[in-house]
Amino acid sequence: MAVTITWVKARQIFDSRGNPTVEVDVGLSDGSYARGAVPSGASTGIYEALELRDGGSDYLGKGVLKAVSNVNNIIGPAIVGKDPTEQVEIDNFMVQQLDGTSNEWGWCKQKLGANAILAVSLAVCKAGAMVKKIPLYQHIANLAGNKTLVLPVPAFNVINGGSHAGNKLAMQEFMILPTGASSFKEAMKMGVEVYHNLKSIIKKKYGQDATNVGDEGGFAPNIQENKEGLELLKAAIEKAGYTGKVVIGMDVAASEFFGEKDKTYDLNFKEENNDGSNKISGDSLKDLYKSFVSEYPIESIEDPFDQDDWSTYAKLTDEIGQKVQIVGDDLLVTNPTRVAKAINEKTCNALLLKVNQIGSVTESIEAVRMSKRAGWGVMASHRSGETEDTFIADLSVGLSTGQIKTGAPCRSERLAKYNQLLRIEEELGDAAVYAGAKFRAPVEPY
Amino acid sequence: MSVQEYLEKHLLSRKIEEAVNAAVRAKAPDPVLFIAGHMRRAAPAVITRVRARQILDGHGAPAVEVELHTNKAIHRASAAGSGALEGAAADAAGAAERRKILAKVVADSVRMINDKVSEALVGMDPQEQSQIDQAIMDLNKARHKAELGVGANAMLAVSIAACKAGAAEKEVPLYKHIANLVGKSATTLPVPAITVINGGKHAGNGLPIQEIMILPIGAKNFEEAMQMGSETYHHLKDVILEKYGSDSCNIGDHGGFAPNISSISEGLDLVIAAIERAGYNGRIKLAIDVAATDFCTGKKYDLEFKSTKKSGQNFKTADDMIEIYSQLCSEYPLVSIEQPFDKDDWEHSKKLTTLELCQVAGDDLLMSDPERIKRAVNEYTCNALVLKANQVGTVTEAIEVVKQAKDAHWGVMVSHRSGDTEDSFIADLAVGASAGQIKAGAPCRGECLTNYNQLLRIEGELGSEGVYAGENWRTVNTS
Repeated sequence: MAVTITWVKARQIFDSRGNPTVEVDVGLSDGSYARGAVPSGASTGIYEALELRDGGSDYLGKGVLKAVSNVNNIIGPAIVGKDPTEQVEIDNFMVQQLDGTSNEWGWCKQKLGANAILAVSLAVCKAGAMVKKIPLYQHIANLAGNKTLVLPVPAFNVINGGSHAGNKLAMQEFMILPTGASSFKEAMKMGVEVYHNLKSIIKKKYGQDATNVGDEGGFAPNIQENKEGLELLKAAIEKAGYTGKVVIGMDVAASEFFGEKDKTYDLNFKEENNDGSNKISGDSLKDLYKSFVSEYPIESIEDPFDQDDWSTYAKLTDEIGQKVQIVGDDLLVTNPTRVAKAINEKTCNALLLKVNQIGSVTESIEAVRMSKRAGWGVMASHRSGETEDTFIADLSVGLSTGQIKTGAPCRSERLAKYNQLLRIEEELGDAAVYAGAKFRAPVEPY
Repeated sequence: MSVQEYLEKHLLSRKIEEAVNAAVRAKAPDPVLFIAGHMRRAAPAVITRVRARQILDGHGAPAVEVELHTNKAIHRASAAGSGALEGAAADAAGAAERRKILAKVVADSVRMINDKVSEALVGMDPQEQSQIDQAIMDLNKARHKAELGVGANAMLAVSIAACKAGAAEKEVPLYKHIANLVGKSATTLPVPAITVINGGKHAGNGLPIQEIMILPIGAKNFEEAMQMGSETYHHLKDVILEKYGSDSCNIGDHGGFAPNISSISEGLDLVIAAIERAGYNGRIKLAIDVAATDFCTGKKYDLEFKSTKKSGQNFKTADDMIEIYSQLCSEYPLVSIEQPFDKDDWEHSKKLTTLELCQVAGDDLLMSDPERIKRAVNEYTCNALVLKANQVGTVTEAIEVVKQAKDAHWGVMVSHRSGDTEDSFIADLAVGASAGQIKAGAPCRGECLTNYNQLLRIEGELGSEGVYAGENWRTVNTS
């Protein structure tokens, strides 16, 4: 007789910012259980699946007791008796039948909450791996039809700006990618060393205060313009001795400083007495990126424009997309319908995979498969509010995304993912392959 | 060996019959699954393998992770690495050199665990914690003799992994297993001492003391304590944002804020304002971790040790400090002061304790060392222990010092380390040992939240049996 789900229990726990989030345990008939916890973002795109929060005064409105109740009273009882290895069936059942809400872009999970559904989906996926007695990453690879496992290049978020940080930096993140490492372990060594060198450079230049960290473990020195961030990175990479082996990525999160009225981008949006003198057009911003790319080893730019500025996106992708990965985060929100549109219109050439934007494992896998078949890169990503759940580490290996973005080598909710990748690489032994310079297309599409 | 001999040697027929009978008695819906589980549980409790690897702690520094294998499962533990650096060589080193030393120490520990420790522990019963820890201590002693000046408590990860394995063998939660090892059945959810403001040598502001913490003593359970703590933390962020600007909202090593303040009163005022905004007046008390050793010069305490231009008025004698602490205790709901004096200033620590104004917790003074605790108990030097498990080295030793402190009617604050990982062992330790207090940082950073989240799970699991220390935070389970 097959092992089945016998009980489901959700609870409210805290994410790495001290905000409530949903954790679910799924119990099995063989006596074991699996656990999943969901992340959440600070700057959520308007097209993301709905994250259900309680409102009111408790936890400053961020409680998730309603979502917890939806798991315990609706989803849980409905999936008892099901086979946890049937991921697609269970995910579709939750998304399409138990919730059933949809909008022009697909299923939006408005009734039960994406945080409720995803927590169950993650726990079921882990339970399925346990039942099959294979590692989670192998189970995910099997679900996707992927026959080649690859360790991802880590994209370390080392400098923070945007809405995540207190400085005046408009661009949200500057990342370092050790594409020249020979293994994931060496990539971690490179990343850690560059990070600590960056810390000492920042300390000398901006003082000890500037070595406190943001939501994802990156520094937020009081720099005045974006280019200064790139200069700091360049200096840190050189000092660590990894020039040519570590490249730079940017996550601009341009929707945060896009002006709907006049369709401009305000690079000074965080200034209190902002006179708007730093507003520029989409085309000017595009040219700014191109000048950065010509001067620095930048190989990835994420969210360079507003989530609805499809045409400027397409221009940038056309002009530098061969050399630089153009990653859609808010543009795509891991939604297959939006991914399909972006593929058709050649809007960008990489997907930022955030499981809580789409709300289930099955839909996440589908978005990745579509992207890979289109020749796109895929970067598996954390959120700024994370827990010690390491699911995305196994996801990035199982789907051979080639890249993972899960913060700085600082703060254990970030390190937990990197540590899991170290374990996976060790477990794979000689069979371990690191994506390295092929991070944009590490395997054949599946 | 014939079939019959094999069956008889392993008592196979009898064992299978017992399993079948058990399934029939239980009327198991899936008898095969039930029998498989029954047979698996009957396997002998034996450690079969011990493996270590290097991982990274919450600061991105090397740390040791251990996987301890038994017949039934793999149990994993990790322990903070950076607190393990000891000796003059480490003290003299700069940041980069310290990282190299730490990396070497961790690599050596990994090799030792994979070699000598594994050899010593394989075959042992993981339920026999004290025997396992004795073996670890013996290996550690031999090692310390061979490597003068460099100590590493990475062996703690082995001890913790064995403790987890022991709990699994007994089929009880980890905290209950620890309670049994302590020799008491009662468990208690601790009052969290939640870091909200960071100062001291690791923060960029002028605040001389290392931490300001809030204790939700007035909560009705741990869940409410965390609600009070996290809400106050977020309100504090708003208070700091309004007063000092957004630069001050980044976080320090333990997840606290480091606003540009230079006096203790200023910091406490900010926290009081946040508590008032959150609506928890009277239900949240305050604590400070002074870490006075860091700014003691000779016999004086330099409250401006982080300033480049000193006023000259902040070089205090120890008696001046006692006056300052007395003033703070009368003006604020300050109920705990950790490490108020230099680690060798037993005299003034005793003076402060004798005033009985608040809990006086020994950290550097005691280093969780039984001999120092004994002396401090006899001399009334302080009245609480800050327990850092990796200062003791093994689970058994940690339990011993808790009992020692409790026997003396001291408070016990189980504490994290700078450079923790995602392991949540100290949460179970705090509950199982009925410490009454836990200090795990801010409600921020995964290495801090992992402990608080585990306590939420434990409280949920205990249900109506869960008892929150609350007003009894200092006196839980004293003999």
